[in-house]
Order: sequence, then structure tokens, then C-alpha cells
Amino acid sequence: MAITFEEVSYAYDDGSLWRSGALERVELEIRPGTFTGIAGTTGSGKSTLLQHFNGLLKPTAGRVRVLDAVVNAREKAPKMRELRRRVGLVFQFPEQQLFEDTVEKDICFGPLNFGMSLAEAKERAKWALSLLGLDESVLQRNPFHLSGGQMRKVAIASVLAMDPDIIALDEPTATLDPQSRAELAALLSTLHREQGKTVIVVTHRMEELLPYADGWVIMKNGRTLFQGTTDALVREAAFLEQEGLAIPECITLWNKLAAEYGLEAEKPCLTPESLADRLAEVLAAEGGAGEREGRRA
Amino acid sequence: MRGKLLIGRSIDTGSWVHGVDPRAKLTAMLLYLIAIVAVGSWPALGVAAVFSLAYMTATKIPLNYYVRAAKPLWVLMVFIFAVQCFTVTEGTVLWQIGSWTLYSGGVSLGLISASRMALLVSFTAILTFTTTPGLLNQGMAGVLKPLEAIGISAQRLTLMMSIALRFIPTILDESQKIVKAQAARGADLRELPWKEKGRMLVSLLVPVTVGAFRRAEELVLSMESRGFQIGAPRSEYHLLVWKRRDTWFVLSFAILAAGVLAYRFLM
Repeated sequence: MAITFEEVSYAYDDGSLWRSGALERVELEIRPGTFTGIAGTTGSGKSTLLQHFNGLLKPTAGRVRVLDAVVNAREKAPKMRELRRRVGLVFQFPEQQLFEDTVEKDICFGPLNFGMSLAEAKERAKWALSLLGLDESVLQRNPFHLSGGQMRKVAIASVLAMDPDIIALDEPTATLDPQSRAELAALLSTLHREQGKTVIVVTHRMEELLPYADGWVIMKNGRTLFQGTTDALVREAAFLEQEGLAIPECITLWNKLAAEYGLEAEKPCLTPESLADRLAEVLAAEGGAGEREGRRA
Repeated sequence: MRGKLLIGRSIDTGSWVHGVDPRAKLTAMLLYLIAIVAVGSWPALGVAAVFSLAYMTATKIPLNYYVRAAKPLWVLMVFIFAVQCFTVTEGTVLWQIGSWTLYSGGVSLGLISASRMALLVSFTAILTFTTTPGLLNQGMAGVLKPLEAIGISAQRLTLMMSIALRFIPTILDESQKIVKAQAARGADLRELPWKEKGRMLVSLLVPVTVGAFRRAEELVLSMESRGFQIGAPRSEYHLLVWKRRDTWFVLSFAILAAGVLAYRFLM
């Protein structure tokens, strides 16, 4: 397993009058080389969960295993350096993640800390920027003078530059325009498929990741409401909707059509193209009646 | 970082001290300050300590929170104690090393001064522990009102203070976020050698300061866009009503201050 949570609880300001619980006995398993989406209403503990992946937060109860590191609530935390190299974390607000005065220095910060030479780190910075589709001219600019979208991309580049095995991103598409959102999702999917990275993305727009994600974790009130494959998610959609999760329209539509045409046992088609193809097949098989039904769908 | 810092955070336990008019509390704190400054002997210190403990218990806030409030100043207290030991030359000789002599009067005065400091810091924490920042500001505005007669705008002063107080936790949070961002990319403050630690803390200053300015600018815009104008009349959300209890509260502090002063200068 890449990441395992065993009955993990976390409370902010634990042991004081301001204690506020954020995670409650969370059980979680994420296999290496998978693409996982994490969704849930605001305040459900998603960001807190993410910060356990690289040991930024230490659980107040339970045990977290990430790669070969174990963080136990009762024991002193081990040295996190190696873990932090292997687990890259992109925070929710990029402007809070950047701290150097040029983009280049910011992206080089991680690689330099992990023992790369300056020349190598600069190479990495250029490479990471090009992955995100940013021009090299931003390298010498102050990150705080960039637009929100560019800042977000620089923040992601600064983490990709460390070449981590696990990439965890907290709502990375929040401030991006639609085109950049689609590009980022595709980039993450490429890293996952071609380089075997484990990718974990917290998102409020499930539909963007549905074509790429193998597994989903749904959080509610600090607990995991659901963990499983995308197919299982589609089957559980009615239950999750009842629990207050906004279910993407494509899932609702598929479930409706599946009920109507008896496709429940099949792999769900969640993109317009695949759904259209599948429907055409079904309708062709049904013959003449298909034309009328097709218009209805 | 936030968990350790207690300045400016209120703790609601619903005790009667929480309900005292903020203007009364501010006046009382001023009287307490006078009393503590006038404490110069063991009996006076004892009375002040008992008085303080009684009020601390009345707030129903665990006493260790008051201890924690005074903790950050322990270096200063040790320093005050040491200075008294070095400079006072009264009482019997306790110890002699070379040309330097330690007198009993120095130790006694040093202990009194350090305890005074501890009492002052932990006791004045009652003010912020039992009053929400909003009420505190309103109280401040009320207390400063007489100054308007000589042309100082109380509103301007309290606005400045409320923003400063309001921003302490925000700026702390912000620096913590940058510390986290640095840790996530391999520079964990806890794991670095001391020299590196210092360098990292300095590198923290620039983004935090820049962030504070950016926030201040945003705040000004958001206040102006909601029609805030300094000096313009505003309605209050909570109206402060002075009750008899508030008078008694202030009176108890006045008696303490008068008693300590009388003991110091008349006896």
C-alpha cells in the first residue's frame, strides 16, 4: 500500500479549550500507482487528511503508514525529510505556498533541499514549468505579481520539480480557467499512466476527474463515507446524494439510462462520447424503437 | 504555534466576570496596574496575590491558562530578579564572590519584583480571556471618549487597536502556513540545524510582511466598499449598559489600589 490509515483521528489544538476535531477514526487504503479523487462537503476534513500524507500533521490517535514511513500518534515522529521528497503536497491556496522572491527560486527550493545541484535544480524548474504550459519568461518574475491561475501553476510546478512518487493536490483546479483545468487533469493523468505516480486530488468538481480516477474517497464530518472504485461510486450515487454530496450530472444520467435499458451490470460510460457510442449500440440492437427512445435520452 | 499563544483569545466559560462591562474591566485593569506598581513589600504582595487569585478563580478559567499567559515573559522576570540581586546593597550579606556581594535585601526585592511582573501579566490576561475583541473595542472607545475633548479621535485609536488585535492570529496563521509549505518541500524547521533554523526564520519575515501589507490593503478596500468612514456616526450592535455590579467591580480594585498605596506611603 502507498498510504494506509488505521483508525486515524486528528484534532486541532488538542488538549486545550479550543480543541476542534477534524478527523474521526479514518480508515483509508490507497494502492501505489492509482489515481484517487477525494471529495466531500467543505469542512469535512479533506485538507486535514491530505496533510497527514507527508507528515505535516501527526495524528492525535491511530497510525498512518505512507510508503515505508510509519507515523504513530503515541510515538515521537520520525525524520520526515525522505518522506517529504517522495510525497509532494500542493496546498489549497497557492499564494500561501510561495515564499521566495522569484519563481525560479521558489521552484528550485525543493530540489535544492533534497540535494540537487543548482544547475540541476534550474533545469528541473524549466522542465516543471513547461509541463504546466508556462513560459520560461515567468522564471525571473515575483510569484506574487502573477495572476491567480499562473500562481497556481507555479505552486504545482514547484512540487512536480521534486519528482515525488506520490503527488497530492488540494483543490488544484479551483482558480483555473476551464481550459487550464482540463489540461491539468490531463497532465496529472499522464504522470499517473506514464510515470506510474500515485496521484491524489481533492476536488469539488468530481466530473473533471471522473474520466481519470480509478478510486474515490468521499468524506463527511471527518469520517470516510465511501471508499472504492469509480464504478462502485456510480452504484452508490443515490446513497451519497442522500448524504449531501453533489453527484455529477453524468453519473445521474448514466444511472437513469442504465435503469431504463438494463445496463446496471456494465461499466459506466461517463463521458458524452462514450455514452453516445454505448447508447447507439443499445438502440441499434433494439432496432426500430431506438429512434424514438434516442431522442428522449 | 497558535495553540501556544494566548494573547487576544477569549475563553467563554459564562462566569459573572465575563458579563462585567468592558469599560469597568479596563478601568479596573488600570487600577490594578497602579496597585501592582505600588507593591513594595511582602505583606502588600500577599494581599495582591490573594485578591488576584480570587478573581482568577471567579472566571472559572483553569488556572494553568493564567500561568501559560505569563510564561513567555519568564526571561524578563529572571532578568528583573538578577538586576535587583546585583544592585541592591541592603540587609545581611548572604554570599560573597570576589568583589561582588549578594545581600538578603536584593534577593527579597528581586523576588518581589519578579512576582509582581508575573502577577501583572497573568492577571491582566483576565481582560482578554473574558472579553471578546469586539466588546473590548467598544469598552476602549468608551474609556477613551473623554480624550475627544482635547481633539484626539477615540474612534481612530480603537480602530487601530482592533485591527492590530484582529491581525495577530491571522498573521500567525499565515506564517505557520509558510512554515508548512517550506516543510513540505524538505526544510522542516524542527529537523534543521540551529544555523539553518535562523536562516529559515529570516526568510519567513519577507513573505509574512508582504502578506500583512497585502491584507491591510484588501481590508481598507473592503471597509470602504461597505461605506465605512472614519468619524462618521455609526450605530452599535451591542449597547453597553452600566450596572450596579460594574460599579462594585471597579470599586474593589480601587480599594486594593488605595490600600496598597496607603501601606506603601503612610506606614
